[in-house]
Amino acid sequence: MRKVSWNVFTLATLCAAMCLCDGATVALAQQQEFPVATRTLKNGMKVLVQTDHNIPNIALYIFYRIGSRNERPGTTGISHFFEHMMFNGAKKYGPGELDKVMEANGGSNNAYTTRDVTVYQDWFPRSALPLIYDIEADRIRDLSFDPDKIKSEREVVASERRLSVDNENAGVLDEQLWATSFIAHPYQWPVVGWMSDIEHWTMADLKHHFEMGYAPNNATMVVVGDVSPEEIFKLCETYIEPIPTHEPPPPVTTVEPEQMGERRLVVHKPAQLPLLMLGYHIPQTNNADFYALNVLRTILFQGESSRMYQRLVDKDQIALDVSSADEPAFDPTMLEVAAQPKQGIDPQQCEKAIYEELDRVANAPVSDKELEKAKNIRLVEFYRQMRTINGRANTIGTYEVFFGDYNKLFDAARNYSAVTKEDLLRVAKGYFGANNRTVATLRPEEAQKAAQ
Amino acid sequence: MTRSRANRSLAFSGARTALALIFVATIFAASFAPLRAETLRMPPHEKVVLKNGLTVLLLQKHGVPLINISTIVKAGAVADPAGQDGLATITADLLRKGTKTRTAQQFAAALDFIGGSLEAEASSDYTVVNLEFLTKDLARGLELFSDVLLHQTFPEDETTKLLAQSADSIRAAKDDPQSVAIPYYCGYLYGTHPYGRPGSGDEISLATIRRDDVVKFYEANYAPSNTIIAIAGEFNADEMKSKLEQAFGAWPARTVKAEAIPPVTPSKGKRLLLVDKPDASQVYFAIGNTGVSATDPDRVAIRVVNTIFGGRFTSELNEALRVESGYTYGAESFFDDRKAAGPFAIFSFTKNETTTPAIDLALQVLAKLHKDGVTEEQLKSAKSYIKGQFPPNIETSRQLARIIASHEFYGLSDDEVNQLEARVDAVTPDVARQVIQKHFPADNLVFVLIGKASAVGPAVRKYATTQDTRLISDPGFWPAPVASKK
Repeated sequence: MRKVSWNVFTLATLCAAMCLCDGATVALAQQQEFPVATRTLKNGMKVLVQTDHNIPNIALYIFYRIGSRNERPGTTGISHFFEHMMFNGAKKYGPGELDKVMEANGGSNNAYTTRDVTVYQDWFPRSALPLIYDIEADRIRDLSFDPDKIKSEREVVASERRLSVDNENAGVLDEQLWATSFIAHPYQWPVVGWMSDIEHWTMADLKHHFEMGYAPNNATMVVVGDVSPEEIFKLCETYIEPIPTHEPPPPVTTVEPEQMGERRLVVHKPAQLPLLMLGYHIPQTNNADFYALNVLRTILFQGESSRMYQRLVDKDQIALDVSSADEPAFDPTMLEVAAQPKQGIDPQQCEKAIYEELDRVANAPVSDKELEKAKNIRLVEFYRQMRTINGRANTIGTYEVFFGDYNKLFDAARNYSAVTKEDLLRVAKGYFGANNRTVATLRPEEAQKAAQ
Repeated sequence: MTRSRANRSLAFSGARTALALIFVATIFAASFAPLRAETLRMPPHEKVVLKNGLTVLLLQKHGVPLINISTIVKAGAVADPAGQDGLATITADLLRKGTKTRTAQQFAAALDFIGGSLEAEASSDYTVVNLEFLTKDLARGLELFSDVLLHQTFPEDETTKLLAQSADSIRAAKDDPQSVAIPYYCGYLYGTHPYGRPGSGDEISLATIRRDDVVKFYEANYAPSNTIIAIAGEFNADEMKSKLEQAFGAWPARTVKAEAIPPVTPSKGKRLLLVDKPDASQVYFAIGNTGVSATDPDRVAIRVVNTIFGGRFTSELNEALRVESGYTYGAESFFDDRKAAGPFAIFSFTKNETTTPAIDLALQVLAKLHKDGVTEEQLKSAKSYIKGQFPPNIETSRQLARIIASHEFYGLSDDEVNQLEARVDAVTPDVARQVIQKHFPADNLVFVLIGKASAVGPAVRKYATTQDTRLISDPGFWPAPVASKK
């Protein structure tokens, strides 16, 4: 027997809960419920469905728990290359046919690869529903590897790398930052792969990757939109369930050793403006500090009233912008800070101002107002993610995969509300120390000189 | 900043066309959904014109407790005075930087406290001010909204600060060739026509702008009769109307001189601009000519044909330049429809070594479009694609507010959505042939390339009789400033 479980998720309830915690009352015009139905197929794939009739469309996301962290030196970037090859022909839909058939039926697709996961996205009108399952089943079960396609797709990925890394200063610096901050763990290499690895993958590498990562029991499917759970489960029984299960990728056992002192790197590159990026080691996403860190990041970086914007952009006028980012991660990861110094400003000036602000937040509690603001911002951001079927599919999948349970989504508001000033002091002290940081600086050199 | 991920493909019909209208309707094949033969329609909305001439549009949409306001002030980069490119943008950027009751810092604090988002920017035809906040914060949200629109003071120090930052932002953008391809292309395509102006301004024009210019621009253009306020989301319409009347009813009526857009003349012959970025390993290229206006009667047919030519993953361009040859990660074409004829361009990029093979191939695909037109099968596929992909464009109150504001500005109606299923389906191979002949350039082409001139310069000379070059670090885009300050 397959288990069907239901969880009623109410946007309005969530809002009310959040606001009550903040001592406010709220009157909501209308409540709308978005129940999530789940089922685990016999082959181990978990399927989550949320019905929404707002528009007659469906978003279908498949999360595979495989990314560049599962790679090895010599074949870096193969997860991402493989993601491209998933569109280049299987048994029933040959090279080029997947896209042609999908678009001719009103659908479109994309996919993304991170250090941890590979995610396939289909967006389509409900009329394309059986077809989409036929396509997905075909490529999960019977992907083929055409040597000509491998050759041309290798060039496509090289072009993608030139676009997002080699000809983009922030891309270059970011790559160097990860490579320096991580010395043991596979997070050190870029998702897109080093260029020399892109040039040298073999057919055998691709086949190995498919066998390792593309088991149904290594995947989670999320469907949101104009469809009922029963319809989706029935399609899954027909198309997905017969696909045999097999071993998931071997665990990544390497643990990044504690960083015991600041690391610095410099990139000299033709540019008009310098760049600064900092990396701090932080725990994996499902760690309890996730919420406190996000609240802290909000206070420091989000909006023109944030501490960093006020200091670097508004008051000192040494930067054009300052921001922070992190991605969901299975293993201890990195919180990145990036600043775009103004022309002629030494990046070290920005560095100094950032450290002063980090010290300030580590040594004195934030104000009540700042804390309340950050929680309000997190709540609105939550609605922004959840207002489209695409955003909801991605969010439900992210919580299911990275927190181990989509139900954690329903706890997010409560978890944010529970963050205290003491939590913020503790995480600021714990993670923003000098010994835990890597500093990457891009220093402009004359373009003419570089061309010679 | 999501650099730790890599995507499979470029997002088609992305930011560049975000302000353009969407010309598609939708229907759903009933084969698998017999009970749902619905046609997608715009939700009902109403229009109120206040005594002072302010146009207010209201659209109630339930589900998520957010309110979105999209405001159009009918003055964009086209209204920038000569030599002061970027003035409309700077004026929009300064709206939040100080009001009669709030400093820039106090305004930011008030906005951030409710998790609100405010975007103010100028496109060619108009300035748009978008605000979003939770329904429960309606009173504060509207107060902040009227503050930015009516009560700003344009403080001298904030103006100076912003101008310096904006000029540096252009320098930073030039370090990333993809992000400046379009300003160079529009400059070279339109020359001195206002559509050639960089909306952001450039390093030279921004240096000429003073606070007085901003105040003058505001006073000349920000007036009730020149403004459309569209509100969508979860609210009570009667309550909203009375609140808006309170907030904006006393905005004094003022006569505004409508900005006339000079007629657009398509570029003749073949011209090529090579923007030299000496360290580039990849060449970024835009090829095309002027396109059409937002109200062109052929707009739907153009949309259908462009979907086939360069508007989706399996388009002719992407199939040739990416899928079959591996020259690039992405190739596309787009029409950016405006009040007068906006630009049309083919856009792609490739490594230095394959510059001419890739451009040759793009030109062959264009030539083939003219020679062979499109097939019945291609039309069928493109129609399904457009109709199937349309609904997510009218999914949120944020999108709906922008669409109704934009329709009002261009004088278009809900038929853009409600009737276009029929309009899309009416496109036949014959109609497509006429549209290709009339709107897709053939022999008259403008080429703009950003790349390493010493590597690709000699080979690309064959494309045009008129050739120009610039160094990317030179101030300005195009036309080149007369006296270049180095």
